[in-house]
Amino acid sequence: MENDELVQNMLLELRRGVLSIAVLSQLGKEQYGYSLLKALSDQGMEIDQSTLYPLLRRLESQGLLQSDWRIVDEARPRRYYVISAQGKAVLSKLKREWSAMVATMTQMLS
Amino acid sequence: MNLIDKYIAEVGKHLPRKNRADIEAEIRSTLEDMLEERKQAEGQTDDATVIELLKEYGAPRKVAESYSGPRYLIGPRIYPIFEMVTGIVLAVLFAIALAGLGIGLSRSGMSGPEFLKTVGESALGLIGGLITAFGNIVLAFAILERVLPAKEFEKETEDWSPAELASEPDPDRVSFGEQIFGIFFLALFLVVFNLYPGAIGIGFFTDNDWVFISPILTDAFFGYLPWLNVLALTEIVFGVYLLRQGLWNAGLRIVKIVLELAGIALAVVMLRGPALATLTREQLAGTPLEESARLFTTMGILIPALVLTIVIIVSSIEAAQMAYRLLKSRPSSPYPIAK
Repeated sequence: MENDELVQNMLLELRRGVLSIAVLSQLGKEQYGYSLLKALSDQGMEIDQSTLYPLLRRLESQGLLQSDWRIVDEARPRRYYVISAQGKAVLSKLKREWSAMVATMTQMLS
Repeated sequence: MNLIDKYIAEVGKHLPRKNRADIEAEIRSTLEDMLEERKQAEGQTDDATVIELLKEYGAPRKVAESYSGPRYLIGPRIYPIFEMVTGIVLAVLFAIALAGLGIGLSRSGMSGPEFLKTVGESALGLIGGLITAFGNIVLAFAILERVLPAKEFEKETEDWSPAELASEPDPDRVSFGEQIFGIFFLALFLVVFNLYPGAIGIGFFTDNDWVFISPILTDAFFGYLPWLNVLALTEIVFGVYLLRQGLWNAGLRIVKIVLELAGIALAVVMLRGPALATLTREQLAGTPLEESARLFTTMGILIPALVLTIVIIVSSIEAAQMAYRLLKSRPSSPYPIAK
């Protein structure tokens, strides 16, 4: 029981680091918050709203995302997010680092 | 106002004013998206669906907290400086209060209840002073936390070089110069006051002659001499032991504090007692100082009092410094260090 809690906490930390890359990777085309949440969840990356929205705001304040409020197809107003030019450059670096890290870890754990 | 409106208003209460409207709009948009999805899946929605949805979204305060991140009165970047400043200011205040108490108690002719009253008032004054000082420091640092740009601190850590460690003094290392200086003067004190008390006096040049007036020390002073000898000898033995040890530890610091307090107590008793030195009109007769005899007889009383007051102040500062280091000292390390 105690170990389960430890594992859960460690997984939470692990995911927290990966989420920024996951979110940036899904914003090549613009999405509103809830559609992004679904897109991530459909691919197996579960994330709750209270984590996603603050993360989106942080990435935007760092200049990695852009957003604006719009009404598309006569629906209600929604905030649409898309990756910025700086975000694309950062994502490409992060992808390389990620691949290297995965290779290292795979080797260490094998 | 429906449940969603009430929920959003409740979250808004805990959000920073600057982004409140924007975050509220975004939460509303998401909740409506979620509700619509449920309507499509279940065919219709009622209050129970909304309640379930809001419960899933989270407690208003928790949702708001996720946007604001951790908030500090004094954050981790300036906390170490805050701790250091607080320690220094409180130690100085403590030393001043101790010296003030010593001087207050030195008034002669104080009765038992007066003595207790002075001690009680000093203690209350000290507690009040410490709380006020602490409050002011917290206020100053809370303002600094909000106005200082984060970069100020980053620069300092970037510029740091391991070479700086070489010039960093070790607070536990015994200062050899200081100890030897102290031992020398204590030994000099013992020799002069016990073996050559006649050497204590006032000397000056007249036209061509060296005039020396002695003895000036009173019987009252020699009454205290055995106590002074015990204290000086103990200090010398302790100083030699410190030199051999080379490092301060908790036990040695406690002994040092006890010695300083004993010194303060003796100084207070001596200040309260009769005059320690006299310079009478007769002693000055026939010297050029005769004209200002009144001034010199007053000085005979004032100079010992001044010396004792300085002793009380310096010892109080040293005792406070030792107490501060004792409280700040590191717990013993499991890492074996060769001394």
